[in-house]
Amino acid sequence: MSRVVVIGAGLAGLVAANRLAAGGAKVVLLSKGLGGLQLGQGTIDVFGYAPERVSNPIRTVQALPGTHPYTRVGATNLLAGLAYLKELVPDLLVGDPEANYQLPTAVGAIRPTCLAQPSMVAGNLGAGDRVVIVGLRQLKDFHPQLVAENLARTDLPSGGRAKVRHLLVDFPAREGEIDSSALTYARAFDDPGVRERFARAFIGELESDEIVGLPAVLGVSDPNAWRHVAEKLGHPVFEIPLPPPSVPGIRLNEALTASAKAAGVRFVPGTRVFDFRASDRRVGSVTIAVEPAGREFAADAFVLAGGGFESGALELDSHGRVRETLFGLPLEGADAVPLIHGDYWGGEQPLFTVGVRVGSDLKPLDASGKPVYDNLWAAGGIIAGSAGWAEKCGDGIALASAMAAADSILKELS
Amino acid sequence: MTEVNDRPATTAKAGLEFAGHELSRASLDSCVKCTICETQCPVSAVTPLFTGPKFIGPQAERFRNGESVDHSLDYCSSCGTCTLVCPQGVQVAELNSQARAVMKADHMPIRDRLVSQTTLMGKLMTPVAPLARWALGNKPIRTLMEAAVKVHRDAPMPPAQSQTFQSWFASRPRPATVPTRGTLVFFHGCAGGYFEVETSKKTVEVLEHLGYEVLVPRQGCCGLAQQSNGLFDEATASVLKLCDDLRSSGKDLTIISSSGSCTGMLKHEAHEIMGVSDDRLADVGTRIRDTMEFLLDLHDAGELPTDFAPMPMTVPYHAPCQLKSQGIGKPALEVLRLIPELTVVDSEKVCCGIAGTYGLKKEKYEIAQAVGRPLFEMVKATNPDLALCDTETCRWQIEQSSGVKTVHPIWMIHAAYGLG
Repeated sequence: MSRVVVIGAGLAGLVAANRLAAGGAKVVLLSKGLGGLQLGQGTIDVFGYAPERVSNPIRTVQALPGTHPYTRVGATNLLAGLAYLKELVPDLLVGDPEANYQLPTAVGAIRPTCLAQPSMVAGNLGAGDRVVIVGLRQLKDFHPQLVAENLARTDLPSGGRAKVRHLLVDFPAREGEIDSSALTYARAFDDPGVRERFARAFIGELESDEIVGLPAVLGVSDPNAWRHVAEKLGHPVFEIPLPPPSVPGIRLNEALTASAKAAGVRFVPGTRVFDFRASDRRVGSVTIAVEPAGREFAADAFVLAGGGFESGALELDSHGRVRETLFGLPLEGADAVPLIHGDYWGGEQPLFTVGVRVGSDLKPLDASGKPVYDNLWAAGGIIAGSAGWAEKCGDGIALASAMAAADSILKELS
Repeated sequence: MTEVNDRPATTAKAGLEFAGHELSRASLDSCVKCTICETQCPVSAVTPLFTGPKFIGPQAERFRNGESVDHSLDYCSSCGTCTLVCPQGVQVAELNSQARAVMKADHMPIRDRLVSQTTLMGKLMTPVAPLARWALGNKPIRTLMEAAVKVHRDAPMPPAQSQTFQSWFASRPRPATVPTRGTLVFFHGCAGGYFEVETSKKTVEVLEHLGYEVLVPRQGCCGLAQQSNGLFDEATASVLKLCDDLRSSGKDLTIISSSGSCTGMLKHEAHEIMGVSDDRLADVGTRIRDTMEFLLDLHDAGELPTDFAPMPMTVPYHAPCQLKSQGIGKPALEVLRLIPELTVVDSEKVCCGIAGTYGLKKEKYEIAQAVGRPLFEMVKATNPDLALCDTETCRWQIEQSSGVKTVHPIWMIHAAYGLG
């Protein structure tokens, strides 16, 4: 059986590991810690702004210039990735690559995203919708008045405005705590009895036809907790993702991790991969920085899915040099002058598009366009050429590149 | 062969000065406040008394100058989960353990000194094993003990045995098989020497079955219980004495241990938490392998015989925190899956609650039980008769609280090789 090491436990790493294990490879996933999925919204952004708001993400992707990672990976892989992800977590993500949802955020703005959790999609509002945003007095990081007032004065992408008000409910998550985190609430809401008491606490204050917007704390283990709340209220409800700890992100992370484990992926978390051995343009092994002497993992193929600057996979030194910290791969865009311009409110910083250049099979390339190593693949945020947070394309690139890298590996190793 | 210098032990003063000033403190600037550690902390999940690893660790550490700013720090169980899950490499648990040692330095409870005397407990209990078993299972005695030394009356206690492992090893007939694979050193630890004697025997028998000669030097305690109670001076002396003991068998032999947490102490905790910087420790830490890690390494190298007898059953397995923090994943899971017809179900639970001696303490007992409850339920639901776990105190906790007999995974390997 072929052995594959995947480095990184974010969306790219988890999807690649799932796909490789399902395809018959023996997969070890190495990660510094828990991946970043639970720092996100638990949704999948494919393309949000180009630079104006996008309603059909797949059409936008198909029209991109050749330097964009999507063009290298291909829209086919993106579509396959979206379909594969929905298969992996069937109860957790819904949506159509042809149509973004436009969903309220925790500051009352409206955010485009492609796949969302079923608990969120009633927030895709239309003109004249009557909405009540309900907050919990003891919950950190969610201010219903802020959400409601901002949302009420926002023109909806589909035209018109919603009619929005707010409520604040006194409902502690547990005794002795007056500033609980979203996760503490979500654990409490896994209990059906808590959900019933919660619904009773404010059902009398709802007006007919109102859609109820709630912070995304409606259960972390029970995927039907939100349906139960909606049923008890007799109103449609939608969840609004919060800053970390993001409960929808935790759901997505746990579901993808569980499916990878079920497929036989071996997880070795807690330690950074810091070194490797290679000869004849092939990587033989990577070494994790476990005390006191490190530990080596040999494999037939390696996937670098460790993200970018945010996770330490890319590093900028005090001389303005950017480095890929594990393999020392050549970087595209690293010679831009200036790498960082001084206009804080100005255009995108060139630094943030720096990354590894990959071929269509997702192998990192050298300056002459040849693979740096014949058995090294890259996926996700390490790939050059886009600013994920500006275009809201990071999830889609991670997904499409993980899919393409995994399929390329399975093909080569078979 | 590794050349090492025998240097004097790091002193307690140096240990406490180290606390919060070197390795771990240097990592706190990497904290981006992402909250990942908070979402995985098993203690703050069940009680608001502990405000969570991020707040108590990298945030509070910035305000510490000797004095601790928040005494909820004492509710940290030092399970190490926060360090394991941190995607930025912050040594959250180490920071907390160091700060707690400083906080407790001038008013160390007598109870915390007592419960960390693991070798002494074994030495006292073995000669009077039936009496010790009776006394520790006796409600009135335990109630008195709770009042006197604040060890909770229902907390799990080590099971006293009539024979120590060393005495068995010295008096048993010589193994019939001739070693063909070389020599290993076995580190049994206090628990494996006095209480979990059967686990130590089975480990040695499996290693001998595989073709190794096994040496067992006289050996003391690794000092982990002292370290986790903030007694850095005593712990440092213990761990370095142990390194000398283990090195006495040969300086380039692989050392095997079925005491997952003691292995962690030697591999990284003594260095990372107490700042013990000594070539003897680095030498032993580099050569020591957890038993299941060693077997998986053999398997990965194609050198583990897999002529296991089928074991048609389903068992729950729980990976202890101090095993997970060694950067080896969960090797027992991989090895056990080689046994035909055996279904091993990973508990996927963060912690059993005991965290060494945390769950024994009167004021922490209920918290530790709440931490472990989902695990106890999972264990009972998966197999009411047998569960697997790699470390001693976790096994005692699971067994006491779930009522399910809990053994080291090597028991399954031993049986599947037909060794009795």
